[in-house]
Parts: sequence; structure tokens; C-alpha cells
Amino acid sequence: MQILEAQTLKKSYPVKGQAVLAVRDVSLNIAAGEVLAFLGPNGAGKTTTIKMIAGLILPDAGWVRIAGRNPHQDAKALRSLGAVLEGNRNLYWRLTAAENLEYFGVLRGLSRRVARQRGQTLLERFELTEKRKTVVQALSRGMQQKLAIAVALIHDPQLLLLDEPTLGLDVEATQTVKTLVREIAAEGRAILLTTHQLDIAEELSDRVAIINQGKIVAEEPTAELIRQFSGTAYTVELEAELDGDRLQKIEALGAVVQAHTVIVRDPALLYHVLDILKPLPLVKVEKDRANLTDIFLTLTQAHPGLPPDLND
Amino acid sequence: MTELFLAELRRSWIQLLRYSTEAIAGIVITTVVFYGLFLSAQYMAGPNLQFGERLDSVIIGYVLWTLALFIMTDIAGNLQREAQTGTLEQLFISPYSATQVFLTRAIASLSIQLTLLAGILGTIMLLTGSRLSFPLAVLPAFITVLLGAYGLAFAMGSLSLLLKQVQQLLGIFQFALLFLLAVPSESWTGSLKLLGLLLPMAPGAGLLRQVMAQGQPLQPIPLLLAMVNGALYLTFGLVMFRLAERETKRRGKLGGY
Repeated sequence: MQILEAQTLKKSYPVKGQAVLAVRDVSLNIAAGEVLAFLGPNGAGKTTTIKMIAGLILPDAGWVRIAGRNPHQDAKALRSLGAVLEGNRNLYWRLTAAENLEYFGVLRGLSRRVARQRGQTLLERFELTEKRKTVVQALSRGMQQKLAIAVALIHDPQLLLLDEPTLGLDVEATQTVKTLVREIAAEGRAILLTTHQLDIAEELSDRVAIINQGKIVAEEPTAELIRQFSGTAYTVELEAELDGDRLQKIEALGAVVQAHTVIVRDPALLYHVLDILKPLPLVKVEKDRANLTDIFLTLTQAHPGLPPDLND
Repeated sequence: MTELFLAELRRSWIQLLRYSTEAIAGIVITTVVFYGLFLSAQYMAGPNLQFGERLDSVIIGYVLWTLALFIMTDIAGNLQREAQTGTLEQLFISPYSATQVFLTRAIASLSIQLTLLAGILGTIMLLTGSRLSFPLAVLPAFITVLLGAYGLAFAMGSLSLLLKQVQQLLGIFQFALLFLLAVPSESWTGSLKLLGLLLPMAPGAGLLRQVMAQGQPLQPIPLLLAMVNGALYLTFGLVMFRLAERETKRRGKLGGY
């Protein structure tokens, strides 16, 4: 079931008296239980798109539906939406963790009793129960971020927008947030995730959409995109350098030898090479696999981003 | 809406009590400023002069001005602060409309403003020896002033949404407010009287002075006119706010600062 449907969204801003298109015909869909990594360089149009989805920026053209409702026309659509926008600035710093959960629960349409109950459950789940009476400004950056995600989930939304959820977090806090994102998606929620940490996007996402200069330049399932950009060659890493006889035989097959490494471009030759190498100790045999960083750079460097002063 | 109102009430009181030094400083500064003015006036007039009902009228004007300033700073200042701290956009991702949220907020924080005001008024009366009366008839006239104050506060809030930086504007505006609340428009005649009826909050402030300082009964026609005045300014403020919200969303500047 599609939770988010965004169709041909367009937005332009005036820059020095001229209208500059920040988002051009962007369409995105996310199904229940799916994580979409929405990637792009600074100024590419990510934040504008997210805010159009959240009903915070009016699109010039196109439409958005969250669980079948348009957030720009029907406020009920916002009951299905939770959002953590721009880092840690989503909470009242002078209120405690529990007070924030209760307040935002009521603001999202829950009764105080239900908001309290759900708040308690979320504090337990996010391992923040001990900090329930601590004011937000006294919490660590990682805890603030966990709390912001908990607050975004207080009304049990079907769609969660996470804008840079791991920005500025240490390794441990990043791991916790990653685990939480996985769990939240496994509950059947649709997640739109933006991040500049492409390894995280690769790990967490089911699909990737890359935006550059306001246009979607790629949208594929993550595994498929990586497969498309990956080569067919194999790399065999050896513990020691090859002796002259084996080196000759392998080079005769067309493989390339570089010190401890043998590169086999034709996959059909892999087992012939392995036969020659037998019984030498191997470190690893690996198929060439592109990572999201390479793919991202390939797709975005062809068209460098907009000037940095333009709001993305 | 009741749930939201109670949540706003709790949120504003918790923040006030947790950081009560700010509130106490507000009361002390406002009272000291008035007492300073009072002492200067007394010095110029000589020690034997009794200000009597004129002093009472001035106190009402000053206290109302303080309240109107609190209300004005509350909405416009909060919008600006929340845009800076990043919570503003979360308020707009709610099934309640922004107007509903901010109106509920404004009514909830009125309880705080009134408590602070009671503190200021009590201290001023103690220091100056003023004996203001508080008959029940004061309430409807007071409500008309509140309606006007909220109308203007929402209008300022609209500017805050659109322009983000309204500190300087608020600074200038506080003198206009002082004029509106302290000017004795109830004693004006002819075409000036009509102008007095059109000025925001002025008719209600005049009624308050008549009832509290001069001990006159509340007249129904002036009260009705003051009510209409308050209702019109409130409507104007709310409509402005809705338009400003839409325009800010169109410009994509809701969370920006």
C-alpha cells in the first residue's frame, strides 16, 4: 500500500529578481514498511521537497497525498505524518522528555491520557525512561535525537520524514538511530530519509532517489542501483606473492596480477584462475561492487549543484 | 480543543515556574519604571499634592499598557523564538490549524499574564497608596481591551511570520500602544469621539477608567461599541494571520530565520 504519493512537485524561488526552479517535477512514492533514501548535494532541492510533503511549503504545481489525503487541503493528513526536521531542533528545551512527548501528543490530536501512555511506552522503547524527568537541554545530543524521533512517533503516524537524523551524532548514537530506523520501518511505517552519510543510506534504504539541480536523476531499489553500477570483475586477494609459474599461467588467461591481488575481468575464468592458485592461502574473493558514494558522485558530478546561497 | 488548551496551559506554566527569575525580573522592572515616573511627577508637583483619581487613571493606563505589551510580545516574540529554535514547523505539522494553536496558546498564557499583572498592580498600589476599586462591571470592559490586544498581537504575529525580525517594530509599537491605552478618548467630543471609537482598545480602556477610577456605572451603549471595536480588531488580526501563514508557506520561509 502506498503511504506517500507525491506527483510532479514544482517550486521556484525568486533569486536576484529571477525565478529559479528549486524543484522540478519531482515525484516520489513510498509504500508501507519501505525506507526511501532521498539523496542529493546541498541546494539540490531535498529540504524543499520534504517540506512540500509535510505541508510546510506550498508547491507551485503538483500534489501530495499522505495515506490518501492532501496535507495542503486536509489537515487530517497530518495525523499520518511524523517528522524530524533539521537535527535536534524539534523539541522544547525547557521541558523534560516526558513533558515534550505529552505536549506534542496532544498537539497531534491525542488525549492527554493516551499521549502519556504512549510517551511512557516510547521512553521505555528508546531507553530514555531514566531521563524522563530531565529537561531536554541537559540531554546528550544522541538522546535529544532519539527523543525527537520518539516525539515524531507519538501519534503512531504511517509516514515518518527524517531529515539528517544522524547528523552530529557519535558512532554509538548513530548505531542506535540506525537500529531504530530499521525497527520503525519493520512496523510497517513508510520512511523518507535524507542523509549525507551515504553508507547509512546504503545500509538502511530499500530504495534510493537521487536529486540534483531540483530533478530526480535516479530512482531505483538500492540493491538494483548498486548492481547496475557494479562491474562483473572479481578480485582475488592472496596472502603471499605469486610464484613465476602461476603468474605466467594466470596472465596467459587474461587476468591481471598486481602484487598480492589478481583481477579477473571475465567471470567465466574465475574457477580456472582458482584452480591455478590452489592450494595457495587466499585472503578473500570479492566481486566488484559499487557503493552508493561512487554512484552518487557519478550521477551528481555530471551536473554540479546550484549556487550554495539558494535554500535547498 | 479543551485538551489542547490544557496542554498549552501546562506547557506555559511549567516553563514560567521552571525559569521564574525571568518573570520576577519582568515584574520588578515594570514596577520600578512606574514608581520612578511616579516619584518624578511627585517631585515636580511638590510633596503636598494629592493625585487622587488622576493617579488611579494613570495606573490603569500603565497596567493595561503592560498587559497589552505582554500579549503582543507573547505571540510575535514566541513565533520569532520558535522559528529560531526550530519548534515552529512542528506546530504547523498538526491536525489543528495554526490559528487554532496560536489562539489557544494566547488564551492559555493569559492566565500567566494576569498573574504577573496582579503582581505589578498590587505592588504599584502599595507603593503609591492608590485605592482602585475592582467592581464586577470591570470585566466586560476589560474583555473588550483583551480582544483588541489579541487582534493587534495576531497582526504583529503575521508580520513576525513574514518578516521574521520584528524586534524593532515591537519597540516602536509599544509607544503607539501607550498612546492608545492612556489617551483619555472617553472625554473627547465631536469627530475626535468617532476617532476614539475606531482606535484599537481605546474605547475599552476609557470604560475601565470611568468604572475603576471615577466610580461611574458601566453604560451599555459605550460597552457595546467597545465590544464591536474589540471583535473587529480580533477578526482583523486572525484574518491577517491566516493570510500571512499562506504567504509564508508560499515563500517557503516558515522555519527560516
